[in-house]
Amino acid sequence: MDASQSKLTRKLSRRDLLRTGLAAGAMLSTESALASRHAWAQPKRGGVLRVWGYDPPHFDPHLILGGKTHNTLSFVYSRLLRHKVGAEVAPGSFIIEPDLAERWDEVDELTYVFHLRRGVRWHNKPPVNGRELVADDVKFTYERFLTEKGNPVRYMLDAVDRVEVVDRYTVRFRLKEPFVWLPNMLANPMSTWIVAREVVEKYSDLRKAETAIGTGPFILERYEPNVKTVFRRNPDYFRSGQPWVDGVEWVVMDDAVSALAAYRAGKLDCGGWHWWSVRQQDLAAMKKSHPHLGYQDFLSTVTNRIWMRTDKPPFNDVRVRRAISHAVDRQAVIDAVYLRGEPSPAVSRGLPEWSLRIDQLGPGARYYRHDPKEARRLLADAGFPQGFKTQLSGTSGLGADLVDALQFVQRQLKEAGIEAELRIQEYGAYMSTTTQGKFEGMAMGPFAISWEPHSPLYGMYLPDQPRNSSHVNDPRLTGMLKEQMRIKQLEARRKLIFDIQRYAAEQQYYVDLYSVGITGSWQPYVKNYAPNPTFDYGGRAAALWLER
Amino acid sequence: MRTYVLKRLLIAITSLAIASLAVFSLPRLIPGDVVQLMLEERAYGKDLDDLRAKLGLDRPIYVQYFEWAGRVVRGELGESLWTKRPVLEELGRRLPVSLKLGLLALLFSMSIALPIGILAAVRQDSLADYVARSLAIVGLSVPGFWIATLVIFLPSLWWNWSPPIQFTEFGVDPWAHVAQFIIPAFILGIASSAAIMRLTRAQLLEVLRQDYVRTAWAKGVRERVVVLKHSLKNSLIPVITVLGIQVAQILGGTVIFETIFGLPGMGRFLFDAINQRDYPVIQGVNLVIVSVVILMNLAVDACYAILDPRIRY
Repeated sequence: MDASQSKLTRKLSRRDLLRTGLAAGAMLSTESALASRHAWAQPKRGGVLRVWGYDPPHFDPHLILGGKTHNTLSFVYSRLLRHKVGAEVAPGSFIIEPDLAERWDEVDELTYVFHLRRGVRWHNKPPVNGRELVADDVKFTYERFLTEKGNPVRYMLDAVDRVEVVDRYTVRFRLKEPFVWLPNMLANPMSTWIVAREVVEKYSDLRKAETAIGTGPFILERYEPNVKTVFRRNPDYFRSGQPWVDGVEWVVMDDAVSALAAYRAGKLDCGGWHWWSVRQQDLAAMKKSHPHLGYQDFLSTVTNRIWMRTDKPPFNDVRVRRAISHAVDRQAVIDAVYLRGEPSPAVSRGLPEWSLRIDQLGPGARYYRHDPKEARRLLADAGFPQGFKTQLSGTSGLGADLVDALQFVQRQLKEAGIEAELRIQEYGAYMSTTTQGKFEGMAMGPFAISWEPHSPLYGMYLPDQPRNSSHVNDPRLTGMLKEQMRIKQLEARRKLIFDIQRYAAEQQYYVDLYSVGITGSWQPYVKNYAPNPTFDYGGRAAALWLER
Repeated sequence: MRTYVLKRLLIAITSLAIASLAVFSLPRLIPGDVVQLMLEERAYGKDLDDLRAKLGLDRPIYVQYFEWAGRVVRGELGESLWTKRPVLEELGRRLPVSLKLGLLALLFSMSIALPIGILAAVRQDSLADYVARSLAIVGLSVPGFWIATLVIFLPSLWWNWSPPIQFTEFGVDPWAHVAQFIIPAFILGIASSAAIMRLTRAQLLEVLRQDYVRTAWAKGVRERVVVLKHSLKNSLIPVITVLGIQVAQILGGTVIFETIFGLPGMGRFLFDAINQRDYPVIQGVNLVIVSVVILMNLAVDACYAILDPRIRY
């Protein structure tokens, strides 16, 4: 075992523990501050919540990865478990709590049993007409999830062998291999919505808006493509009193300036951008003109990265990858383009519980230092004293910021001797080629949204995973990833996840760049609300109330 | 006249048939296909093949084309690969929005361009002429989307007010429905009016210098009659030609304006479909746009014959 490897397995130092403790303390203090801000208020019934929303490409949760569909479906459907919502939840914390399952038991490492709430009713719409949700529905949903051709997130439950009905209100998940992340996957607001057999049978799939019939807090009343989706309160929702609002207008505003104008003019109840936020470039002016609004900073759970063909020269040489990492001045890109954010390791800094700060990455931390000279030295060592030419792919379809960042990074790479030709692709072409590993040279962009560390790491580093865009095949990393899937003890698992990040920082298969800053915002009359970058907008909308 | 229109109609049908080939094949030349996009980042190889077969995209492209063309002749445009909604039904909802926006823009454009163009020609080299020409250059130079952004944003910055940016159906609130088109149509019409104004002025100036106009002046005919009756009609042929081209430009411009002002028209429908490689939608929308442009040109050709009886095919 070499020196770097021995450091990989070193225990957390006291300083690390102190820092982690301080971070946790800061998070807790934010939580308590948020709780104290809203806990005194009594819920008030009524009003229609009018918010910035998405226009889903279709409504079938088992045939799409994209957030536009899942965000919209979060108003209509429930899942077995969910992430806690409400003002007391600090952004970036994803606490699992019961949803349709009132409790669950881990019988052994290959068996989980979920006990369903009784008396949960489907929306009172044909063909289900408000009948009770039972274990058969859960079994049907997960069988569809596992067998539906084209489910892009089937990987989430690759470990599930079968789902069995124990009795009317109990289901059992049998696993092929130990998978301690199962509850996290079932709480994931992406494709885990429980759907009704009758609806699937009637419509053959769930693409049309009229198929969105669930047990969630809101009933889909009207869908107007490119305009809005209108939801009304589900009077039979199983959470007592919720939703407090009578309905939600989920308004589509694709143009950022129009959405900001609408929010400024009071036509929206929460920020007019992704995660109901105000864009960083508009924030200072907004805070100045609208100081009475609620604002909450947090980090995205998505990391922007550079990925490359590590199966081909020159990127199969770790010195070249480290040189690239040295070449990029992450903080400069953040300051120039995103205004706020934080350099990030393999697990986004938006997941503070699972992510290490750069200075906690051990020997790999040094490659995060902007050092063009060292980059040139490493390139010379690797046989490229004059640098080399390559491509840097990206897309214009994810906003102007990414294009600016690409140009910035291109210039930084050039300073280190790497001539990267910029290849800006239209969104469709980018998604179907570059994000799937079909590219030459390097590519850059955000990917791997997650609410736990397993999904991004597993997807990015396991050789057989379609999301392994850097073509990584490292048996040591594979072993570590497989091992963490079976560690029940949380602290031990966390330690291994930290070790994986340290190892990844040394290897630089992906040059992880940064997690960008987001600022959630809401009108002062919106109570019991805190932003969080999850797709469960519906859960948050059900928990809040309006005091206009 | 009848033979002329019939011949133009034949040419229009031939153009439409050729355009249908381009409309069908060009989207398929863009890198990446709908199946890969549907499965997004997590495409397992077998899933790709299965889904491609399920959507009927595994057959030879010429087979797909003739099937689609056959359906088009029967009045069907297929259904969206993503939403499964019939394209024709969706177009029925969106075409009126784009047409309203486009026609209103044209109306604004003509209402601004013709009077100012005539005034600038009749009062050549006067202050009014200089002002009109300067404004035309500004109208041509300043991008419409920039004006639209300012119109949306500045009132919200100064007065916490924004123009309507949320679509309202006519049945829900007729006034709000009409009102939401006025600002985008006006801005969309500005650039178009600048071009038409300059052309009207130039053409009218040329006609005003012709002998028969001088004769009219010499006979003591009133200015209004000389300009509007004897000169304007003869200067309108190039203007009508440009108008036909402007229709295509305005239809193209609706994409941005529909996005900024939240109008659910064909432009946004097409934009989303291209991003998603939703071939039936791309084909359907493009076919409609091509048809509108061809029909508009047909109308322009017919206008030639009305404006100048000497024109015959």
